[in-house]
Amino acid sequence: MYFPVTQVGSWPRSSSLLAALRERRSGRLSTAEFNQLADDEIRQCVQLQIEAGVDYVVDGELRRDNFYSFITEKVDGTQLMSLADMLETVEDKAAFEEMLQTLDAPAFSIRNPTCVGKLQRREPLAADDLQFLRTLTDRPLKVTLPGPYLLTRAMWVTAYSVDAYGDKPVMADDIVAILREELADLAAAGAEFVQFDEPVLTEVVHSGDDERRTFM
Amino acid sequence: MNRVVSGFEDKLRLGLHVCRGNWSKREDVLITGDYQPLVDCFSEMKIQQLVLEYATPRAGDLAIIGQALSDREIGLGVCNPRTDEAESPHLIAKRIREALQYWGPDKIFLNPDCGFGCFANRCVNEQQVAFEKLKAMVAAAQQVRAEISGA
Repeated sequence: MYFPVTQVGSWPRSSSLLAALRERRSGRLSTAEFNQLADDEIRQCVQLQIEAGVDYVVDGELRRDNFYSFITEKVDGTQLMSLADMLETVEDKAAFEEMLQTLDAPAFSIRNPTCVGKLQRREPLAADDLQFLRTLTDRPLKVTLPGPYLLTRAMWVTAYSVDAYGDKPVMADDIVAILREELADLAAAGAEFVQFDEPVLTEVVHSGDDERRTFM
Repeated sequence: MNRVVSGFEDKLRLGLHVCRGNWSKREDVLITGDYQPLVDCFSEMKIQQLVLEYATPRAGDLAIIGQALSDREIGLGVCNPRTDEAESPHLIAKRIREALQYWGPDKIFLNPDCGFGCFANRCVNEQQVAFEKLKAMVAAAQQVRAEISGA
């Protein structure tokens, strides 16, 4: 069929899901308790997509804090840091703060998956979520993953990452391996479509060195 | 990217999404510029579908990718995920017809420019609006499908 309709991945979070994400982050809500609520929200999200007539269904990334930071829950050697936390390690703090203000980016609510040790996939990044999604619909399923370039660039924060890897390309080798393991799992779990997100590519080509730089 | 996807090309439909930021509803703070500087990079990637923004003028002209990379599928961004009103199916259908100048009908997917809530506590939209935008894309797809089969 021509012109299948799908989404790029994420769906707006309800206020109860936002509260649950917060509680899970602080450890007041267990993963099992969180997932129970998230399962319900994903059911609703899928229902709406089917009602709208969408062809390739997504789970709305509803379990994720953001489209790349969520890997801190799945990969050893990572730590979730707010941009405010990262400010500690930035040499030119004034410039970093100014960049965030200029871009209208809130330092406390955007979080980064920082590499703080040897990276190892502890559990699938998205294959478990896909299996749940598969139980909800027979339509083809689309899964989104952060791309290798985005992850390498975002996860490397020299002050935290240098002890484990020495240099960024060495860390990138492990990111490639982790994403390949994930693709194998997703293919086995019946994903039809896997989309890699590489939003910073436009920044690389459209922002000069001495101009602005975003936070990813 | 090619090291990641090598060997999976036949097992999965692999897509690449590139946008210009989705953390704010303010157009002036998001990135502007067309895809021209990325054409070589895209053509080297062993990726079946490019999922790109085309719903705001910041993303530039459809012809740039349309002329260079019509051998790939296009995930055509036809809705702005950050605005409060759904685009009209009529307008979306027009965009599909423009894309048909470059891509075969079997190579065009429809999607919003980006997610509706990439950052959990900085979601750029609400569920009802997102739902209306999905319906608008479905209606536009039906419209152009009917035109093609009637032609």
